[in-house]
Amino acid sequence: MNLLRQHRISAFLLLLLAMAAFATSQKDLVLLMSSGAIAVLSWYVTEGPRGRSLPEVASNILILGLLFWTLAEFLTDIELADATSVLGRFLLWLLVIKLFSRRTAYEERQRFTLAAMLVVCGCLETVEFVFAALVFAFIALGIWTAMLWRLQSSLDAARASRKGDGAFLPPPLEVAVGRRLLPQFRRLALLSIVVIFAGSVVGFAAFPRFGESRGGRSQSDAVSGFNDRIDLLANARINESRRELFTVVWKDPTGTPEQSKRPIYLRGAVLDRYDPVTHRWEALRTSNAIRAMRTPTDAKFVALGPGVPDTTGGVWTAEIAMRSLATSVLFTVYAPFAVATDESYSVAFDPATLLLRDVGTDHVSRYWWYALRVQPQPSPQMMETLQGSTNPPRSDISFPVPALKPIAERILSQAFVTGIPTAEDVRADPSLRWMRNREIARAVASWMRGGRFRYTTDLTAFEIADGEEPIIAFLERNQFGHCEYFASALGGILRTLGIESRLVTGFVALEYDASTSQYIVRESHAHAWVEVRTGEHQWTAIDPTPEESLMQISERNRAFSDNFRWIYDRLEFLWNSQVLAYDSAAQATIADRMQSKWWKSVQESYDAVRVQMRALVEQYSLGRAGMVWFVAIALAISAAVAAWLFARRRLRHTQRIAGLAGLPPQEARRIAREVSFFADALDMLEDAGFPKPAPLTPRQHVAAITLHDANAGGAFARLVERFYRVRYGGLAQSISDREETRDELLRLKSALSRRR
Amino acid sequence: MQATRRRTNFGTAGLLYCLTVVVVALASVNRPNNLLVWIFSAMLIALLVSGVVSGVMLLRLRAHRIEPRRARVGEVLVVRYEIRNLSRFVPAFDLHIEERKLPPSIVNAGEAWMLHCGPGDTVHAEGVFRASKRGLFRFPTFEVWSSFPFGLLRKRLIFERASEVLVEPEIIPLQPTLLSRLARGGLMGGVRASVEVGGGEDFFGVREYRAGDSIRSIAWKRLAGTDQLATIERSRAVPPRVRIVLDLRRATSDLRVAEGVDPRALEEDAITLAASLMALADRQGDEFGLTILGLDVAAIPLRRGHFHRAKVLAALAALDLDQPRDASATLRESAERATVLFVHPDRADTSISPAVGWNFTAAQLSSLRIPVARGGET
Repeated sequence: MNLLRQHRISAFLLLLLAMAAFATSQKDLVLLMSSGAIAVLSWYVTEGPRGRSLPEVASNILILGLLFWTLAEFLTDIELADATSVLGRFLLWLLVIKLFSRRTAYEERQRFTLAAMLVVCGCLETVEFVFAALVFAFIALGIWTAMLWRLQSSLDAARASRKGDGAFLPPPLEVAVGRRLLPQFRRLALLSIVVIFAGSVVGFAAFPRFGESRGGRSQSDAVSGFNDRIDLLANARINESRRELFTVVWKDPTGTPEQSKRPIYLRGAVLDRYDPVTHRWEALRTSNAIRAMRTPTDAKFVALGPGVPDTTGGVWTAEIAMRSLATSVLFTVYAPFAVATDESYSVAFDPATLLLRDVGTDHVSRYWWYALRVQPQPSPQMMETLQGSTNPPRSDISFPVPALKPIAERILSQAFVTGIPTAEDVRADPSLRWMRNREIARAVASWMRGGRFRYTTDLTAFEIADGEEPIIAFLERNQFGHCEYFASALGGILRTLGIESRLVTGFVALEYDASTSQYIVRESHAHAWVEVRTGEHQWTAIDPTPEESLMQISERNRAFSDNFRWIYDRLEFLWNSQVLAYDSAAQATIADRMQSKWWKSVQESYDAVRVQMRALVEQYSLGRAGMVWFVAIALAISAAVAAWLFARRRLRHTQRIAGLAGLPPQEARRIAREVSFFADALDMLEDAGFPKPAPLTPRQHVAAITLHDANAGGAFARLVERFYRVRYGGLAQSISDREETRDELLRLKSALSRRR
Repeated sequence: MQATRRRTNFGTAGLLYCLTVVVVALASVNRPNNLLVWIFSAMLIALLVSGVVSGVMLLRLRAHRIEPRRARVGEVLVVRYEIRNLSRFVPAFDLHIEERKLPPSIVNAGEAWMLHCGPGDTVHAEGVFRASKRGLFRFPTFEVWSSFPFGLLRKRLIFERASEVLVEPEIIPLQPTLLSRLARGGLMGGVRASVEVGGGEDFFGVREYRAGDSIRSIAWKRLAGTDQLATIERSRAVPPRVRIVLDLRRATSDLRVAEGVDPRALEEDAITLAASLMALADRQGDEFGLTILGLDVAAIPLRRGHFHRAKVLAALAALDLDQPRDASATLRESAERATVLFVHPDRADTSISPAVGWNFTAAQLSSLRIPVARGGET
């Protein structure tokens, strides 16, 4: 009965888990601590020395108050998109109130229902690893608690059914329980949990999907910091999470990993169009010249452009391994000319932007490893090989914000740009254009890094007046912001000055781990910078964001827990890669692989058997008839073994019935063979509805049967007498005795069948 | 007893759970969220596991109703069940044992429930019933059901095994001095001397003195006259004897009853009164016997003791009032000396017997019983 005492504790823990899971989904530590503290207090109040509970009236008043508060909050302040969060909070506080209620079966059911609904609300809010871990713990504990609750409620019902009126006092309920209750319950509960989780994995894998998982790739992309567009009106705080997204190994031409002298810029998206209405930078889609290729399975490099690239300047290799970012984007260093992947992928290369994308649908996840061959200072020939004529230089450069022009000119004059070819010089000699572009861009960027502007990720104080252009607001009034504003300002100024430029978003590899000789790229390393055209086919990256500011912010967020992040990040990586990113494409890939693997293994097994059989036939010159004999003999041997096992089992059963445990084995076997008729008789009686109760002796059982059926009782009585004579009297049955025994058995059988 | 039928039902909780599973499935399809998909899979598998576990648990169970003893109207009847788990590995939890198709006069007053029956174990559980009428009743079928582990599905094993129980009539506590008042005076054949030697007070005879005889039993007057020692022998005391005669000669429809009174109920009250008188006699140590007039039931001689009491109660319990009555039956003269108590359903009929006796009617039952105090105590 100690088992049932665990029910209250496990039920309480289950409710706490549900509350913790929901608070985690909301990322609200205050909610977690406050609700958790009150929940713990409720345990002391209701289960403590005095064991009090909240009166129903008080509970109802509190619930009504909570309901009105929630409705008021929802109607005045909250958007429809936050409805789930509001509902979840309501349920959480309702559950907290219910924790102070009486411990009855009805209240218990209500609490469980509230907990389950709370978890479901949390599921609609987030799919992060921590929350998922809490949900799985909730399910496991829920299974345990449900089984205990079933027993407890049955006990309560049985006890309640015994409460008779004073005239009839039924005996108190003595709970009937077998041996070793606790270990058997634990085993059954654990087995159920394991089976449910294993089955849920299969169900998860087989559940039909109709597209890409929203909870997978795009969700993880959204929280990675990387975005393929810049929205200056979003005013969002840049993600400062320390979560590791991927690692970069930067190898010199000899293949030795090294730390680059400057941060490594990893390009993810190129944004070359600014919408002055929505204040967004977006990519201009040009897909005419996209090259698609299939990378080999053995991590061999495949060229991205036609022809042989010029590698005289030395070739560096960037190896990128994803840790917790599922994406179709291959973050590349400018400018890759060959790519290799761990598995065979379908890759698309855009020569205009030098970006790579995974476009295949025949893989399980997008958490992959790939390597790029690059030249840090690519030669014009290299660039021409890569890009061809896909992105010719433009002369009609402008920026759709006219108000920026005087500001750009003022900045240019303030930037102390000297010795740079003027526009007239460029008209006279077009080859000077690229130098002009480069020097102006560097000067303006240097001016921006000069201390006038403060780098910060917190834009809560950033003000944009109605109708004001955010770039002008940044340059003129606020003069603080994050990398997107810096890059947008530089890009806007350059375009206003007629210099072809574009924004690039991606990551910057700042943090070098000397112990593993690799860069660790985190969520907070998402970045935006500018590329300026400095050649017919060449672009130069110009970063107006002060590098020192980036390093400071990266160092500021470093915490002690970073040393142990690898444990959590590994699990989260697995969660993101194997679960969240699982979509219809991955499902189809797994199905194809399993089918081919299964078919292959079946064929291999079949071939192996055929080879063995052939060898056997040849060795013994069996021929077809011989094969048939061989199979028949094999079947006969199997049948004989099965019969022997069955007979042995039957003999042991008879020994148990006849109580031959203390006898020498040979004697026990002999007597068991002699009294096997008694076991047969007991089996017949059990089939007919007269099982022999263990406490009764055979003669008492005869008496019990005779009360119901005199014929059966008589036949069985004679068999019992014979049994006693053989078992205890040492009678050795002769052939006639055995025949008589057989006849008695038949009489018993017919008596029992007549009864039916 | 092998189970003859297996049944599976969904309870309310199970139906609600299925509805929830469907809702979660729709949510996970509508809003592709892999975590919701996983939760849906887990809920579905839990439903399957629930069915499999409860089915496997009951697969090798064998149940047996241990024959219930006699019951009595107004008292509880405890029926024991033996459950054997023939499985070698699978335990059984949360087993409920219920009787099916109970006769209307027997109600369930306490469920038989078993928390656990391990592999190879044999465990007993008790069910409690109350009978409101006397007679022979049948427990035709019982079932063993369980909704373990999650309460979603109810699996049942139905055992077709009939048992019979004889419900004895109710015994009302009567006033303790009732019989002693009736038997006083000796004329009615109460206390009498026995024809056997014993340790009583009545003179039996004189014999020769034997060594060891008590000095108090010496016949001193005889010694004075004959100079020979003699011992007085006393007779054995015999308790009073009571014969209860239950008058059932008149058919139920011929009974004279007041408006609104059920004549069958009167007859039952008469039987109850007869049983109560018998119980009173037994409690006082009297010898008692029973004669039923009007039905073909053999008279029970005068005896006392536990088995005799059971025999009388069984005879009263087994009376079938629907049988045809013999209106001409009378009580024959008998040499036995006993107080005769006639119990009539509706009115006293002195023509029943030439013997002298006391006549009771069923209507006197309430007045003869020990008054019940306000708090229910007698």
